Amino acid sequence: MHQTDTAIPPGWSYNPASWSQRLPIVGLAIVGLGIATYLSLFQLKVISDVWEPFFGDGSRKILTSATSQILPVPDAVLGASGYLVDALAGIIGGIRRWRTMPWIVILFGVFVGPLGMISVLLVVLQPVLYDAWCTLCLASAVISVLMMGPAMDEMLASMQYMKRVKDSNVSFWKAFWGYKEVQGKVI
Amino acid sequence: MWAQIINAFLGIWLMASPAILGFSDDKTISDNAHIIGPVVATFAVIAWWEATRVVRLYNIPLGLWLILAPWVLGYNETTAIANDMLVGAAIVGLSLVKGKIEDSYGGGWSGLWKKDSLHAREARRQPRV
Repeated sequence: MHQTDTAIPPGWSYNPASWSQRLPIVGLAIVGLGIATYLSLFQLKVISDVWEPFFGDGSRKILTSATSQILPVPDAVLGASGYLVDALAGIIGGIRRWRTMPWIVILFGVFVGPLGMISVLLVVLQPVLYDAWCTLCLASAVISVLMMGPAMDEMLASMQYMKRVKDSNVSFWKAFWGYKEVQGKVI
Repeated sequence: MWAQIINAFLGIWLMASPAILGFSDDKTISDNAHIIGPVVATFAVIAWWEATRVVRLYNIPLGLWLILAPWVLGYNETTAIANDMLVGAAIVGLSLVKGKIEDSYGGGWSGLWKKDSLHAREARRQPRV
């Protein structure tokens, strides 16, 4: 009982780093990873067809568009790597990680945010530049947007902890990386 | 939260409206809907969670833009003008609905710069671990 108590950040009514809070986000990241991997296989020409139930030639147009090839690797490969980082950053660490490993929580938030924003940007570009829609790309965007909100509460708890670190004149650097020696000194 | 669920659907409606209402051929009108729609839906979905409910306010300027867009961009389709203005007004109104906040978040985002916030006060009362 005492252990679960100290896992709740001060001033909070629940622990944003508990497994029931984190696992659904990790689950979403794994589904996103699956979709992005499938789309990568098409873009890398491992498979020659892509599933598209609604928009005819839409997926093919989008996935072979100039925008998708703008970087050395196809965009779905980057998406898949993003989801993989999200899933790993979501799973690493215990239920006190908002104060024992702020770096992973902040990395998690920092990756979930841009992944969502880039997905939305790509959703905008589909009809505006190519006049087409890609069903699985939209599904992936929905997943990455759904992950943004629930990932942010844990990041807030970690950032509040870092604020208290700063106010108690404890080494910001050591607290960020979770050095054991500083953990008892933070107000 | 219900208000932000409706706003998310309004954003998705904006994305689909050029095809459904039949003005896909007008590039200006459909581009505007295709750009604003996903962004409105994204902000609304992020605001479903209490800790990020404040993000709903980002949809206010977007809703106001939708009310102005038909005149700024010079729409010549009545359906499109009505659609953008009505959806825009609804988005602004619904963005103002905060809804219930049942959990506490250590003073929230303002706790990151305020001197004396809930998380700091509570932390002082707790034994250091």
